Amino acid sequence: MKQLYSIPLVRGLVWLVIGLAAGIAFVVGIRFALELPVMGRYLFTEHAWVFGGVVGTLAFLAKHGVMDGWFKVWKGEEEAEHHEDPEGWIKYLGPSLDHKVIGIQYTVTAIILFLVGGLFALIFRTELAFEGQQFLTPDQYNTMMSLHGMVMIVSILLGISGLINYLVPLLIGAPDMAFPRLNAFSYWISVPAAIWLLLSMPLGGVETGWTGYPPLSALPTKVGQQMFFLGVFVAGWSSILGALNLIVTVVRMRARGMTAFRMPIFVWSAIATSLIALTATQLIGLSFQMVMFQRLFGMGFFDPAKGGNPILFQHLFWFYSHPAVYVFILPGLGVVSELLPVFVRKPLFGYRWVAMSSLGIALVGFIVWAHHMFTSGMNEYLRVPFMYSTLLVAVPTGVKFFSWVATIWQGKIPSPMPTAFLFVVGSILVFLMGGLSGPPNAIVTTDLHLHDTYWIVGHFHNTFFGGFVFPFFAALYYWFPKATGRRLDERLGRWHFWLMASSFFVLSLGMMRVGLLGMRRRIFDYDPELGFQTTHIVMTVAAFLIALSVVIFFVNLVRSLRYGEAVIGNLWNSRSPEWQVPSPMPAHNYSAPLVVVGEPYDYGLPGSRYVDFAPAKVGD
Amino acid sequence: MTTHALDKSAALNQGVIIFAYLAILTALEFGLAVALPNPILLLLVALFKAGLVMYYYMHIYKLAQQDEVLPRNSYAYKTGSNRLGLWLFLLSDAFVFGALLATRFNLWGMTRPHLNQTLGLAVTTVLLVSSFFMNRAETSIAHGDRKGFLNATLITMILGIAFLVGVVGLEWQLAQLENVIVNKDVKGAVFYMMTGMHAFHVLTGVIFLFLVWRNGRRGAFSAERYWGVEAAAVYWHFVDVVWIFFYPALYLIGTVV
Amino acid sequence: MRHFIIVGLLVILVTLGTYFGLDAVGLLPVDASAQASPIDFLWDLQLIVLSFLFALIVVPLVYSLIVFRRKPGDTEDAVHVEGNTKLEVTWTVIPLITVVAFAYLGAWSLRETRRADPQAMVVRVIAQQFAWSFEYPEYGGFITDQLYLPIGRQVLLQMTSRDVIHSFWVPEFRVKQDVLPGRETQLRITPTRMGRYKVRCAELCGAAHYSMENAVIVVDQVAFEKWAQEQRMAFETAQTPEQKGERLVRANGCLGCHTLTGQVLVGPSWKGLFGSERKFADGTTTIADEAYIIESILNPAAKIVAGFQTANPMPAYVFDEEQLSYIIAYLKTLK
Ligand code: HEA
Ligand code: HEA
Ligand code: HEC
Ligand code: CUA
Ligand SMILES: [Cu+2]
Repeated sequence: MKQLYSIPLVRGLVWLVIGLAAGIAFVVGIRFALELPVMGRYLFTEHAWVFGGVVGTLAFLAKHGVMDGWFKVWKGEEEAEHHEDPEGWIKYLGPSLDHKVIGIQYTVTAIILFLVGGLFALIFRTELAFEGQQFLTPDQYNTMMSLHGMVMIVSILLGISGLINYLVPLLIGAPDMAFPRLNAFSYWISVPAAIWLLLSMPLGGVETGWTGYPPLSALPTKVGQQMFFLGVFVAGWSSILGALNLIVTVVRMRARGMTAFRMPIFVWSAIATSLIALTATQLIGLSFQMVMFQRLFGMGFFDPAKGGNPILFQHLFWFYSHPAVYVFILPGLGVVSELLPVFVRKPLFGYRWVAMSSLGIALVGFIVWAHHMFTSGMNEYLRVPFMYSTLLVAVPTGVKFFSWVATIWQGKIPSPMPTAFLFVVGSILVFLMGGLSGPPNAIVTTDLHLHDTYWIVGHFHNTFFGGFVFPFFAALYYWFPKATGRRLDERLGRWHFWLMASSFFVLSLGMMRVGLLGMRRRIFDYDPELGFQTTHIVMTVAAFLIALSVVIFFVNLVRSLRYGEAVIGNLWNSRSPEWQVPSPMPAHNYSAPLVVVGEPYDYGLPGSRYVDFAPAKVGD
Repeated sequence: MTTHALDKSAALNQGVIIFAYLAILTALEFGLAVALPNPILLLLVALFKAGLVMYYYMHIYKLAQQDEVLPRNSYAYKTGSNRLGLWLFLLSDAFVFGALLATRFNLWGMTRPHLNQTLGLAVTTVLLVSSFFMNRAETSIAHGDRKGFLNATLITMILGIAFLVGVVGLEWQLAQLENVIVNKDVKGAVFYMMTGMHAFHVLTGVIFLFLVWRNGRRGAFSAERYWGVEAAAVYWHFVDVVWIFFYPALYLIGTVV
Repeated sequence: MRHFIIVGLLVILVTLGTYFGLDAVGLLPVDASAQASPIDFLWDLQLIVLSFLFALIVVPLVYSLIVFRRKPGDTEDAVHVEGNTKLEVTWTVIPLITVVAFAYLGAWSLRETRRADPQAMVVRVIAQQFAWSFEYPEYGGFITDQLYLPIGRQVLLQMTSRDVIHSFWVPEFRVKQDVLPGRETQLRITPTRMGRYKVRCAELCGAAHYSMENAVIVVDQVAFEKWAQEQRMAFETAQTPEQKGERLVRANGCLGCHTLTGQVLVGPSWKGLFGSERKFADGTTTIADEAYIIESILNPAAKIVAGFQTANPMPAYVFDEEQLSYIIAYLKTLK
């Protein structure tokens, strides 16, 4: 018992519950004293739950141990920024400051949430397969659907943080992130976030989809809605602080000689992503906070009866949530750009253009948000300028695609193709489908038909899968040996890829098809007159096949951790610094500071070198 | 590494001069709002004030200082990283306040509720004076004057608390008499949200100052190592910059309804 | 060079194949409004361009994967090509021109769909959880739950919501517009094809969002006039309390949550409701008499029917006594 409690995660969770209870008790006490109603539809009133959630989050963080370093500094004691982690898997449950451990923590949490979100999808897809009600109520359907969306999105946010955390310090030759304590904090704050998000389920569920539009989300019916907002709000801080850390790391911690255009391309995409996450995330936090306050204190920001404006919420929300979609994909596209040259043994075509296109996408992405609101009833004259700005994003994205094709062209394609490479190619194809289904939405008039249909659902599943899921798997297959010293099984990997890619195409093309014909989003049941049942059955089967492919991946993961082929050398014959040292990566990364002496992707140029592991000359 | 090219008394004098400018501009702002209530003019004044604070009190130019040659694990190099991190945080936070301003203009338009002008001007002045002392505290420790630093920090903290009392303790109560009520309409909602979010930042700033003051008394800072003080100062001035925009948005711009 | 020619030809083939393939499948529902034509025109144009772009990327990619395979035993790297600024500029500028042209066409078609006919017939649309009702001010202001429209005449829909955001969408008419509480939004539609369609709420508005569909019927001018006059007569001349009750129920969207068939949507079905024994969430029971029905409507939260604790709660309505008596009279007919 005591031993269990000494595990930081367990201790944190215990205190999370204690904090929740204490917060609830506090509000209940106050309300009791003020002779206000104490009990609500879900045991206690909303105020109690929300306050309990806030206290629970703080209690978790305070007791888990991730803030101990700060507490010491605040007390005026000196505290080293590095201490040795315990041996074995237990270090993953504690407040490690090592960016590699944190990267893996993020990645594993992301995978867990991916499973949970996927499970929700399977549940509601089963309900959708047939006309009429199967086994869910409309309320449960909405909850499943909304949480599927948000859990998946949080999973992506953690997934990209995982990649970035693990890779960027290695790629730029740094010993760690700039602020290791902040790094650990950013990860651990996402744990309570995920808990609140999922706790919304027993508390009445979520009715609004992931977008949480008021006035619907402000109807005082379900406490779950509040926990959903709270969860996202807390998760937002993980994103913001992680992004801040990353930018400082890249600006201040690069190896000597690594000028801006000698950075591995993934680092550029991480920077572009972080610029968005750092700034825009505040707005989803604020907009959700405002709805929470509208519910808790009756503040009428979005309530027309009090002079509020529901459209204002949509502006604030999309000001984050549009740029956020580029947060989701830029690291993934960075992985694609990073791996292609290694596999085809050719320099990345137009390195500078690809680097700049990431920044271009990120910056233009800030001025397009209202394309989600063409039918919302916002000021009419805004629609045309937002159409122009949105379509502009196609240009830098196109640069990436054309550069990829030019990189592959006359490259030497490995034969047989390794799984990581298959996933890279899959990303390009799937993301192309997603990207090309974007401009029709961006053009106001066609969007008047497409808005809020399954066409849009198809659009964004393609972009998510192409821009995140496929590259994420590519990265796992590629860097798994770096992290563990063992290789994932290629035969299972190929099964995973082909099953996932083919059934995903079936699923998403099916979505687009029914969407165009008039299938609305977020509906629990569809009108039999439309005749969609056959397509829906096919889509549900496809969804289960995707799940099967994920199961195969899991079997592979677990087996390879133990029995995988041992690899310690430069498996992919890459020029990148992390592959020049043995796997798994040593605890303090590079024993001596490295110096960059050439271009990162000069494949095919005899005698060229990228990094030099010369022993340090300056006392550093 | 010396971050201060000026000697101590010149640096302190600079603080006084900037304070005088800010005070005059605030008076000008108030006068403008009475005589010539043009939002563009008011915005220009606010931008100018914010520029002064960011340059002279927050030393934004330090971000561009070249310290690439320093050893990576030196205090000075780490301070450079910390400074960048803090400014990025402020950039992020600025988006919250920007969004609150956008909310205010969306929901209030060119109107504003009736609020107590005297009190508004008073709390603004208090915050401004606190910024002045904050600057003195930082300048003092940068030149090794620990006593001056401790005293100025203490005064800043007290002024910060006075600001909180002024806004939360007085203005919130008085506003209710003016029918600015939190759950009645957007007039109340926006007013309490904006002042509340700002007050929350002042509160965290006060706590931060307290930690700095307490650790300072135990001898934590010196002319070479005073990042904690600099951080508290930059944060404090940032909260002041926010108020530079919030004050006209809440008290000066638009017609009273 | 040989590679380029083959790929070029394949790109053309795949473009045509994709475009005509998709076209043959038939992607959009029938078009039934004048506003649909510029939209469908633009959609078609997009389809051509997107098919081309698809081919432009996919063909060289797949071609490379097949043709540029590493030969067995070859361990060399590939050619060292770092980039080509001319090419980069080309594939920046051409897409730029393309998207600007599309945006221009988009603005043009938006103008087309919004073209106002001063003779347009006004219909007021009221949305609420989870039903639509339609008021015809030009015909004495009667209210129905079916949208009847005459073919060839523009209607101006003036829309507002009683509670949350909904969205007016008839797929066959293409255009879509959100309906907001506390504000009026507008939509112009000129039906061009007779038939029965459905207005389908396109903005998630709560549990029964999925069933928020009402009939839209496009008929010729004569039939429309006839229908409208009938409705008007029925609305204005005296009729039975049951009929008045039914109209009140339809005009207030009750049927968005209650059915007449025994099926449960959001609230309990009304079939056989009157006089039956009701069980409540707190375990008590009562007989559904007039007092109970009145209380259920004016103050729905007072007694919650068992099984509906977590449902979307029913909004409180304001009716006068006379109106309530009509509703009750109507409910009594639902055996
Ligand atoms: C990872 C996520 C991601 C990405 C990358 C994108 C990319 C794009 N998205 Fe998407 N989008 C979403 C996720 C994403 N989207 C989500 C989640 C929603 C729904 C939110 C909700 O309501 O729940 C959505 C909804 C959405 C809408 C609102 C639809 C509606 O609800 O009515 C619009 C409208 O403009 C839009 C447009 C675009 C465009 C133009 C791009 C562009 O970036 C695409 C650019 C890429 C290409 C165009 C392909 C490659 C380019 C070339 C080959 C060059 C040549 C091209 C041309 C000349 C056209 N998206
Ligand atoms: C990364 C993002 C992501 C991903 C990967 C997915 C994956 C899937 N999505 Fe996703 N989806 C969204 C993001 C995503 N979705 C978003 C943002 C929305 C919008 C929500 C809204 O409108 O608000 C949405 C909406 C959405 C809808 C529309 C719902 C509606 O409008 O009513 C549908 C419908 O088919 C759907 C289906 C699927 C399916 C079948 C998968 C499949 O790929 C899932 C495959 C399955 C797995 C990956 C799980 C494997 C699990 C197991 C093997 C079980 C083991 C489990 C445990 C041990 C816990 N999704
Ligand atoms: C948003 C959904 C909604 C709308 C619209 C709605 N109701 Fe209801 N109604 C409910 C729900 C849910 C219940 C059951 C819970 C309860 O008893 O309050 C209910 C219960 C009732 C009952 C009691 C039924 C019983 O089984 O005992 C009556 C009578 C009733 N409604 C009448 C009306 C009338 C008349 C209107 C329109 C003027 C209307 N309702 C509109 C949701 C709705
Ligand atoms: Cu009304 Cu959806
Ligand atoms: Cu978008």
